[in-house]
Amino acid sequence: MITAGIDMGSRSIKVVLLEEIKVDGAPQLKYAVKKAHVMLPGEMDADEAAEKAYDEALKAAGVTRDDIKAVFVTGAGRSQVKFATEGVTEMTAGARGANYMFPQVRTVVDVGAEEGRGVKVDADGKAIDFAGNEKCAAGAGSFAEAMSRALQMSLKEFGEASLRSDKTIPMNAQCTVFAESEVVSLIHASTPSQDIAKAVLDAVASRICAMVRRVGIEESVALIGGMAHSVGFVASLKKALDVQDVLLPEMPESISALGCALIAAERQQ
Amino acid sequence: MNDGLFDQFKTWYEKRHDYARDWKARTGGQVVATMCTYTPEELLIAAGMLPVRVLGAHEPQNVTEPHIFGMFCPFCRDSLAQGLLGRFDYAEGVTLTQSCIQYRQTFNSWRMHVPTVQWDYYVPMPNDVQSPHARKAHYAEVQSFREFLGALTGKPLTDEMLKEALAVVDENRTLLRKLFDYRKEANPRVTGVEALYASITAQFVDRREHNEMLKKVLAALPTRDLNRPEGVRFMTIGSENDDVAFMAMIESVGGTIVIDDQCSGTRHFWNASKPEDDVIKAIADRYCDRPACPTKDYPNHTRYDHVLGLAKEYGVQGAIFLQQKFCDPHEGDYPDLKRHLEDNGVPTLFLEFDITNPIGPFRIRVEAFLETLGEEELF
Repeated sequence: MITAGIDMGSRSIKVVLLEEIKVDGAPQLKYAVKKAHVMLPGEMDADEAAEKAYDEALKAAGVTRDDIKAVFVTGAGRSQVKFATEGVTEMTAGARGANYMFPQVRTVVDVGAEEGRGVKVDADGKAIDFAGNEKCAAGAGSFAEAMSRALQMSLKEFGEASLRSDKTIPMNAQCTVFAESEVVSLIHASTPSQDIAKAVLDAVASRICAMVRRVGIEESVALIGGMAHSVGFVASLKKALDVQDVLLPEMPESISALGCALIAAERQQ
Repeated sequence: MNDGLFDQFKTWYEKRHDYARDWKARTGGQVVATMCTYTPEELLIAAGMLPVRVLGAHEPQNVTEPHIFGMFCPFCRDSLAQGLLGRFDYAEGVTLTQSCIQYRQTFNSWRMHVPTVQWDYYVPMPNDVQSPHARKAHYAEVQSFREFLGALTGKPLTDEMLKEALAVVDENRTLLRKLFDYRKEANPRVTGVEALYASITAQFVDRREHNEMLKKVLAALPTRDLNRPEGVRFMTIGSENDDVAFMAMIESVGGTIVIDDQCSGTRHFWNASKPEDDVIKAIADRYCDRPACPTKDYPNHTRYDHVLGLAKEYGVQGAIFLQQKFCDPHEGDYPDLKRHLEDNGVPTLFLEFDITNPIGPFRIRVEAFLETLGEEELF
């Protein structure tokens, strides 16, 4: 049985196809990722963009729509995906996906392009509480991206640069626009770019951490979403959360899509 | 199913300014913009006036910045905007009964800067209603308000006039309680949005007309069948919130709002007055005894058990805090009230409200809350 999970993010669409593995002829609750993920930038027509991403994933995996038992969808634009079997929220999808990758995880931190959230997860991978940023981008990936642009770096370079800094510069992360003007002031003051990068990522991590504290920080903690690719952010987050370790899955931006595919498969049992 | 049973309340709500203008034309009475549900409306009604609570419009506005800070709560800013934009140009008077300091600034700005205001009155009700001196003090303040209104109209408010007005308002409170009793049922025959329309309109419609409409609805309810899935039974908690689009969203994704602790709902009408020979005492004590707003709930926090009691009585499965951003009194109560509810088996969701609200992101949070509450074993 193959199921599909689609995460309709605000900046990109992620698709995961999951195939059930049969051990000794009996269906087991184990799965193999048929196609790791397909990422396409989001478009104005969410349904059309989802169709495109889905078809690309099917093609890459060498299967057709008829082979797919169910398509579950999550993300900001999920209600617009007409061909989906069912939808679940990002909290539920992220919790299930992270739990599959790391069964010991109890706190999932999900930082995507426009949302950051903390989700408390039980042993079965069910989201039992959550908190998220509401009407601002300061606690999310697009904030870090905007700041890296101000320093003329890629987000990857930005994260790596921050690791070279041992300075702590307090920065207002309440508002992306004001924070950008702070970055400009720091540039004018000839502050080394790695120190500015660290200040920005510390500020994002601090804001995320404040949100996660609302649901309680219980180890193990996993970080999912695109910001998990930033080594500097991971270091800042680990320090802010004051935890032993932050677990990082492969393809962190596709964990919610994976969670969707898993839930789709489990609902077919 | 829409059988139109609550359509009159909905129309009153949506066209409340038209209603007030029409009422004024019909009766020749004065309209008074009221702030805060601690305002002793009985006195205004006895004086032949129509108390109309100032509600926000939930629209972006740019007129309040010169008068009150941006970090005042959205309801205070939205309320002041309505005055500055001339939406209450039919109201001769404006009153506030003391509750929170932000609201007081809204009132002060209103009486200074809304050009159509002809008179204003501030009732300095004690916030420490638990003090042994509070009732005496509030009695004196209600008496002073009575004298002010008598002098204003040139017609002193007699005990008989006050008793008659109190009887009308108490009947309204009793009828609303009867309506809300139907929400205790499994799969209630009144939705949260309908209950909101019925209860919020009691804050600006002539209470006699409102009573007649409530009686019609109550007569029709026993045979009503909404034929809609109940879903999860929600309670809403907060200050003023009449964001109908938000309430409708909750009831469109698998839930029913069965009760509230808000001043736009139960806190306004929950208790009737107790019989007293002295009508001023009956009126004044009623406001000291009503379910408390956080501004009037110390040193003992009586509302924590009151809210929990409502949750139990109405079979609530999840409570949603509708927190007006920067509303200090409610923010102060939130951590303890959340703990109190959760320790007693009522899960909670916190949402922060502004003048306009992002229904899409809120929908995701409510759906996620529903998923965390779901009894269905997903995995």
